[in-house]
Amino acid sequence: MPNRTRPIEKVAKATAKCSTEAAAYGKCVLADYNSVHKDMCAKEFMRLKDCFLAASKKG
Amino acid sequence: MISLHPFRATFSRRCIAATSGVRTYASQTPGNPMIEIFNRKTKHLQKDRAARNVEESRKTDYLKDEVALRLCERLLDIKRDFHNVLDLGANSCNIARALTTPNLDIAVPEGTPSPPLAERISKLTCVETSHALLHRDEELPFNKEINIHRDVIPDLETLPYQPNTFDAVLSSLSMHWINDLPALLEQVNTMLKPDSPFIAAMFGGDTLFELRGSLQLADLERRGGVTPHISPLVDVRDVGNLLNRAGFKMLTVDVEDIVVEFPDSFALMQDLQAMGESNAIMHREAGPLSRDVLLANEAIYRQMYMEEDAPGIPATFRMIYMIGWKEGGNQPQPLQRGSGELNLKDILGGGDFQKP
Repeated sequence: MPNRTRPIEKVAKATAKCSTEAAAYGKCVLADYNSVHKDMCAKEFMRLKDCFLAASKKG
Repeated sequence: MISLHPFRATFSRRCIAATSGVRTYASQTPGNPMIEIFNRKTKHLQKDRAARNVEESRKTDYLKDEVALRLCERLLDIKRDFHNVLDLGANSCNIARALTTPNLDIAVPEGTPSPPLAERISKLTCVETSHALLHRDEELPFNKEINIHRDVIPDLETLPYQPNTFDAVLSSLSMHWINDLPALLEQVNTMLKPDSPFIAAMFGGDTLFELRGSLQLADLERRGGVTPHISPLVDVRDVGNLLNRAGFKMLTVDVEDIVVEFPDSFALMQDLQAMGESNAIMHREAGPLSRDVLLANEAIYRQMYMEEDAPGIPATFRMIYMIGWKEGGNQPQPLQRGSGELNLKDILGGGDFQKP
């Protein structure tokens, strides 16, 4: 299968462009990892996801 | 606690004897009832699919090849010829490849060639459930250097071989998908000729602990709960008991960590899939991981486990190597506890630690 990029590779590429946002989200989750609950870091995640979506559009 | 067990065993047996005249059961499984943890059909499909993409599958054989080599190094210590050897859960015959590798022996001085182990083996039977995986490397040159026989069977947990058939049973990175490990080991013990070794390597306890942890946190934060993504694995401490229970003697168990570096968590999961090692737990969620969880997992994995300035993320694979011998004639026996007559201190020297 030449020249076929798997979807997961696109995801990996786009995520790599958002290291600042990813680090912020990671820090937020790990700040209190013994009592993680749903949407504890929703704000940070949305920032990461926005960056990710923008990056994957650019291709 | 331990001394209580024999007493309890005889006691319960007496109870059964007393009631057996009154009523009998049509069938009663001895020991614990079997619990299905892994979905064998799913596992079979995953292995088949992975192997059909020959190129990717070969590329991700690095772990299985390395472990097969390390396993075969253990065979060097046994100065014997083996007529009939079984490779249990052969994957793509990684053990056969390792056995045909020359100069495996690092104990001989450099420069002197040592022959491959295959010369001491008359027949190697490779058994596996996936036809595509087992026959993937059929055409490669190593097949000509060893008398190899491939067997595809429907289920690794019931082996179709006669008792006292094999001079050695080897197994590399397959037994972690077995539901009923005690029963399998018992079968292996029966299949072996007396005084023959069983040598195996399997993934153990802390394998992929990084991914396990970060996926749990990502699941919790994004979806508010956890679901199993990584198999429960055998702990090192249990392996001795398992072998003992199956009747093996002279046990050796040791552990080794192999840490592999990946560019990101996506690459790690992709490789696992290409190895045919994706999740096959019975009650796992259907469908792939959601993109949100994947994204969250990548961020958490990096934050938690990546060393500063490292090019990638580490993933730990913990191998448990085990050797057990089937009981046989002139096998050395351990002496009775407390029967020692010499003080080791007199032989080895040493004594109390003294400050210099």
